[in-house]
Amino acid sequence: MLEFDGLRKSFGSNQVLSGVTFAVAPGSMFGFCGANGSGKTTTMRIAMGLVRAEAGEVRWHGRPLDGEVRRRIGYMPEERGLYPKMKVAEQVAYFARLHGLDSGAAARAATEWVDRLGLGERRGDPVEKLSLGNQQRVQLAAALVSRPEMLILDEPFSGLDPVGVDALAEALLEQCRAGVPVLFSSHQLDLVERLCDSVGILARGEMVAVGTVEQLRRQEGGRLLRVVVPDAPPHWAAELPGLRVVSEQAGDTLLDLDGGADDQAVLAAALATGRVTHFAWREPTLVELFREAVAVPTAPGVAA
Amino acid sequence: MSEPRGLGSAALVRLVAAREISARVRDKNFIISSIVILVLLLGTLGLQVALGSGEEQTRVGVVGDVSALGPAMEAQGQALDVDVAVVELDDEAAARTAIADGDVDGVLVDQASAAPRLLVEQSAGGPLQAVVQGAVAQLALADQLAQAGVTSLEIPEVAVTALDPEADANGQRVVVAIIGVGVLYGLLILFGQFVAQGVVEEKASRVVELLLATMKPWQLLAGKILGLGVLGLAQIVTIAAIGVGGALAFDLVDIPGELIGTALSVVLWFVLGYAFYAAIFAVAASLVSRQEDLGTVVMPTTLVLVVAFIVGIQASAEPDGALAVITSYVPGLSPLVMPVRQAAGEVALWEMGLAVVLMLVAVGVIVRLGGRVYAGALLRTSGKTKIREALRADRL
Repeated sequence: MLEFDGLRKSFGSNQVLSGVTFAVAPGSMFGFCGANGSGKTTTMRIAMGLVRAEAGEVRWHGRPLDGEVRRRIGYMPEERGLYPKMKVAEQVAYFARLHGLDSGAAARAATEWVDRLGLGERRGDPVEKLSLGNQQRVQLAAALVSRPEMLILDEPFSGLDPVGVDALAEALLEQCRAGVPVLFSSHQLDLVERLCDSVGILARGEMVAVGTVEQLRRQEGGRLLRVVVPDAPPHWAAELPGLRVVSEQAGDTLLDLDGGADDQAVLAAALATGRVTHFAWREPTLVELFREAVAVPTAPGVAA
Repeated sequence: MSEPRGLGSAALVRLVAAREISARVRDKNFIISSIVILVLLLGTLGLQVALGSGEEQTRVGVVGDVSALGPAMEAQGQALDVDVAVVELDDEAAARTAIADGDVDGVLVDQASAAPRLLVEQSAGGPLQAVVQGAVAQLALADQLAQAGVTSLEIPEVAVTALDPEADANGQRVVVAIIGVGVLYGLLILFGQFVAQGVVEEKASRVVELLLATMKPWQLLAGKILGLGVLGLAQIVTIAAIGVGGALAFDLVDIPGELIGTALSVVLWFVLGYAFYAAIFAVAASLVSRQEDLGTVVMPTTLVLVVAFIVGIQASAEPDGALAVITSYVPGLSPLVMPVRQAAGEVALWEMGLAVVLMLVAVGVIVRLGGRVYAGALLRTSGKTKIREALRADRL
């Protein structure tokens, strides 16, 4: 298990992390979500030893990470970084060597990954001559080339076209199948929902929700009810008891009902406005769960 | 494929150093600067050889016996500070041919007669006529005195006492030291810049975050400084070897032993000076994140180097002056002043040792303190970092 345990960090008076705890199982993919500035990058940098936590630690197989273990982590920083004038294959081989491969193995692994990521023809070009998308691939190759035991990727999908996204997703799934725990952050929640075994949502310095998407749906106290009432006036449901209007657009209304709220009363209110063309329970998408989780707390946060 | 293994500090430092070297030897700036230095060096040597060849010998031919005239002309030449070579020729025809061929500058014919003649191509330029006239006159005088019965003459010989017999050698030593310090200064600035640019490049391209995920800041710093240092050392050793070798081969100096000594001391001071300035340049560069901002942070250090260079040149004129003596101990200035003092004046072994020790202490302090600044500033990739902020930052 790759465990993050009670990480705390503040920059000046700004408390960024106030006890971040979660774990990534070997062979599973963990989607790390959170609003901009919520502390995802800081959390990952703490794991990589680039930022020192004030409290808490990150463990792998029960042991705190040190330099030697970190060498076994494939890392992609949020701010991409490569030597601009160094050639693609040489660069990837250099990072392989920094992760402990000897020179022959590093050269072979670099060639293999450069070919695999479709950069075979560009292997002798300096990185600065490549398009941003291709530079991103080199960055990924640098993270994967040493056959890491863990992957920590900060926004790996940002800036990729759909084909690139699919290729990266496939590469990550393959790592997962080989038993590597993969932790990545992303704002593309549909992608997270599609790829990840479990999801963590970071807000206000803590993990406000951790679990499989299924678990999160179940944890979500209320239930979502979609009611479409084309003739209703705006805010038609605002006054109803025991529910909250999640969204409302031209009569297409999404309602969040408390456990005890009466759905039949909602139906009656809907009918009172005129036609009802749709009335059904709905599974919240991850996007909705995310909005819910990061919203300013109305009830006690679902602490993980 | 072999399994990845653990890496020690030495292995990491070596990897970083190897990358620096391989990246730099393919860098246009490095190649061009190396070629320029080499061309300058060879040009200087060539110029020296060309100027030196002006002092060629005067070749005088004599028709007939040279047993008396030869030594007399050589003695005259010595008095006039001219190198005279005497060639014996058979007859006047041979003399004319020798002059036409340029084998000799002039030929004396009818030496024993009352009217000896000097044959020359166009005119008896320079010391030629004086040498020949002096020798002939001397012999004739001795001859006539002998005929008059005077056989022994009491001619007092003037004894020469040299007040500074080493003046020439000292001058050469100073010139060698100044050239050495000039090269030292150029290479310190050049390689200091390389270090600074390398640090900023890693910050500007953000690759530093990926590097620091696999190593500690000091390992990165050490690898960079060592890698470029090896290159710099190779360059100064090459320059010294070509310079010294060339000077010896073309016989430009009278003090081969001391030339080599001075060259060695310049190379040694390069090592110390480079360690000092490279560390400062690296730390200064770590404070900024763009190449454009580099000039402002390295400026103070560059100024110190310029001052050291000027003091070093000044020290060649006054090696025992207070300024030269004091600055030859000051870390940072000593690499450019001490070699000049050593060459131009007297430096006791303890003075040399003191300067080296002070320099080593300074390097130690800079690496320790500067290393902290460097480590604290590396991941601040926006704008300029203040030294105080860097010292307060997390220690990785």
